[in-house]
Amino acid sequence: MLTFAEELILLLTDEDGALLPIQKDAFECALAGAVLMDLAFAWRVDTDPRALVVTDRTPTGNPALDRILEKIAVRAETVDTRTWIRDLSIDEADAIREQALAGLVESGVLEQRSGTFPWAFRAPRHPAVDGEAARAIRLRIGNVLHSDDVPDPRDVALIALLDACDILPDLFPVREIERCRPRIEQLRRMDLIGREVAGAIADIDRTLALAVRSRSARFRRLLLHLSVAGALAAVATLMAPRVPIPDRFGPTFFELLWFDGAWQEWSGYGLLGFSGAGLVAALRMKVRPVLRSGTSIRWRLAHVGFGLCCVLLLFGHTGFRLGANLNAALMVSYVAALLSGALAGISTHGASWLRSMGMAPRLRVVPMRLHVVALFPLPALLIIHVLVVYLY
Amino acid sequence: MSWRTVFWGLCVPGALIATAFVAVRMVVGGDRGMLPIGETTDAHHQIEMACETCHAAPAFAGAAAAVKAMNKTCRNCHENELRAAGDSHPGKLFRSPGMAVYRERIDARLCMACHIEHRPEITRAGAVTVAADFCVACHAEGEQDVRAIRPSHADLTFDTCASAGCHNYHDNSALYEDFLVKHAGRPWVAPEPVHARSARDRARELPKGAALTGTPAIARSGIAKRPRQRSPFAWNNAVPRPPAALDEAPAIPRGGIAKRPRQRSPVASAAALVEPAALDDWAGSGHAAAGVDCVACHAPDVVEGAPRAEVEARWIEAPDTDVCEDCHKPEAKTFARGRHGMRGHPSIAAPRDPGRGLEAIGLGGVLPGAVAAWFADPPRPMRMTVAEARLPMRADAAPASLDCGACHRHHAVDTVRAAVEACASCHDDAHTRAWFGSAHHALWQAELAGEAPPGAGVSCATCHMARVGRRGKIVTNHNQNDVLRPNEKMIRPVCLDCHGLGFAIDALADADLVARNFRGKPSVHIESIEWALRRASDPGRAGNE
Repeated sequence: MLTFAEELILLLTDEDGALLPIQKDAFECALAGAVLMDLAFAWRVDTDPRALVVTDRTPTGNPALDRILEKIAVRAETVDTRTWIRDLSIDEADAIREQALAGLVESGVLEQRSGTFPWAFRAPRHPAVDGEAARAIRLRIGNVLHSDDVPDPRDVALIALLDACDILPDLFPVREIERCRPRIEQLRRMDLIGREVAGAIADIDRTLALAVRSRSARFRRLLLHLSVAGALAAVATLMAPRVPIPDRFGPTFFELLWFDGAWQEWSGYGLLGFSGAGLVAALRMKVRPVLRSGTSIRWRLAHVGFGLCCVLLLFGHTGFRLGANLNAALMVSYVAALLSGALAGISTHGASWLRSMGMAPRLRVVPMRLHVVALFPLPALLIIHVLVVYLY
Repeated sequence: MSWRTVFWGLCVPGALIATAFVAVRMVVGGDRGMLPIGETTDAHHQIEMACETCHAAPAFAGAAAAVKAMNKTCRNCHENELRAAGDSHPGKLFRSPGMAVYRERIDARLCMACHIEHRPEITRAGAVTVAADFCVACHAEGEQDVRAIRPSHADLTFDTCASAGCHNYHDNSALYEDFLVKHAGRPWVAPEPVHARSARDRARELPKGAALTGTPAIARSGIAKRPRQRSPFAWNNAVPRPPAALDEAPAIPRGGIAKRPRQRSPVASAAALVEPAALDDWAGSGHAAAGVDCVACHAPDVVEGAPRAEVEARWIEAPDTDVCEDCHKPEAKTFARGRHGMRGHPSIAAPRDPGRGLEAIGLGGVLPGAVAAWFADPPRPMRMTVAEARLPMRADAAPASLDCGACHRHHAVDTVRAAVEACASCHDDAHTRAWFGSAHHALWQAELAGEAPPGAGVSCATCHMARVGRRGKIVTNHNQNDVLRPNEKMIRPVCLDCHGLGFAIDALADADLVARNFRGKPSVHIESIEWALRRASDPGRAGNE
């Protein structure tokens, strides 16, 4: 039998073996919740409003579950379910995912393929061998949602997990989910599992929903605001009237900023540094083998923050003057990258709003791809710009 | 193959290739039109692809070294101009330690303190990139506080110093106090206004009865009569002989006014090589009168007495201006300093040698010749074309290339045409158009008609290519920059021959009057002469400023 984490990954993996573009923080919380649910179903943990405790330290036989079980057991202080979900989503989500993928490969459900070009930037992919297992899970969930039959407790728990993490709209059409909303609410209230387990699952489910919402709401709001600010700044770069240079002798701030060699040099270095930092943060989000520290949400926050700093430094370096020739190309590339990045941020972190507007989840991919397309000439243009400055 | 593979497969190598491509263009050779970071200032735009002309510092030189090297290149072309004007603020003035406090505000040792290229947003008239009130930097406090030492200046603002017609930063040769006092009280126009150097020069070349009426095209009619006029100058009295057959001319002379007694050499034994129309033009020209025959220009390398076969072998169908320069050195030299011919200035960097560039990056001798040649700088036109000009120009003149023949016509060598018609055949601004029908135009017509003395007429060239005396000779200064901007530079060499200083200052300060080509009287009055007189009468004056 597949674990919840394995089922979750199967559901979220497309035919090419890539994860669907879902909220990363929701996915990480879902993985943490999936492990806790498996442990609850295995009668290893129990919860109350103040604590999640180990009731049985006997290994389950699943290495991923046993590792988490051991981690919970050895922790000195007792903490509540929400804390565990937060900690596990931050510290263990990658490991849970890797182990789940390894388990699926071992059981012949998925196969592992080496990353496509460019190899350095692509993690190995895990396409389904025949897709039967994923179809079966979708069919099970669909049957449960569209019928009034008494469902299997694990299906109920899986649906609750997916709903708590707001992943259902990524798997099924939004209208269908909205139509099934009463049934989903009914399923989440069902007492189909043994009392103790039901209590733990319900608690995990409730806590998970709270954790996802609070964590993602906090960061989503922040990221959404930052993305909107970035988009406005990028648009202002193109639309806002240029700040006039006063025709009065004396080192005015803007004249120094835009026309003094030393100031321009430093703002240029700063721009280069923040662009590089933004690239590192983006790589960290995409390329796990490169850097393993920190959480994706923090890297994303850093990426957006670096992007905003780039806008400010761009203003300091150029006064939003487009320049001429290759400088103009560099500015266009920068502004396009910042604008598409901001739009990608808005579409990612304003996903619920987009869904309410009836836009498909995959629409979020478009600004992201535009972001990459706008970015690819940037390093070349930056190198040329620096060479021009120092050669001429 | 997924879209990701295609995208990264194309974009990563594409970006690397593009970077390498542009880097090679920077270091080795090739078109660099995509590199300038901003529009180049007027006139300099003609030479912007000869980057090394100004960017002379070695690659990756420090900022100070780069600025110093660039400053030196400014002086390569503008040094003579500044020296001739008696630069009021020469760089050496600011080298002393006592000037350190001023250097902190504007480092006036460096041209780039006030003139930065490729900054169109802050570039003002005269390619100045500092604010118009820059005088405030040094003249607002201490012993240089002009408002304290000149009570007349107490209520003036610094943005009017250089814009009101009173002062210039470099050239105050017609604006300094003693000069103002000396020329005070002169009438607005002289009783017999004649431009002296033009008078001397034209007296030897203008045909009687040559007329220039309403339009420039009519000027051509005067040219055909020229060969039949006799000049008071001896060299101009030689009547060209008809071209002889090649067989009759065993010896072929070489050209050169100063060195060769052209009059005695057989005329144009190579004449059979040229077209009759060209020959007609030549026959009426000063060249014919001076005995400068076809071979002198079309086969300049042929030694005197060379056989016809050699002449034919070395015949140049369209000789370059280098041939003209052989004899007309002062004109060629000033032409190369001016806006028309600056591409031919000796300080303009030559196209880069791709072989040397390839050696610098370790590829010397590695690449096949054909590939190395691909990195060569694109051929640069040696002459400016009208189409490249930024001033208003006639559309039909766009393809014209600015060599000697463009204004003088190659075979006619026509200075009358070059003085007006040539200018008006390209320039299409209000000032040029307004000349026709102006008082200056009427005088020019009168002079050509013989109704006014030589030098009385005022053509475009009279003001913009003023004749100057050099080593006892009168030569035309083909560097119009010398008397162009600020326009007060024109006062001494041009205006004062006919006009009083007060009128000249007022007229040049009236932009509308300039646009109307001086039809009417100035509507502005610059009080600098009155102030100079008042100060001159003050026994406590500190000295000339």
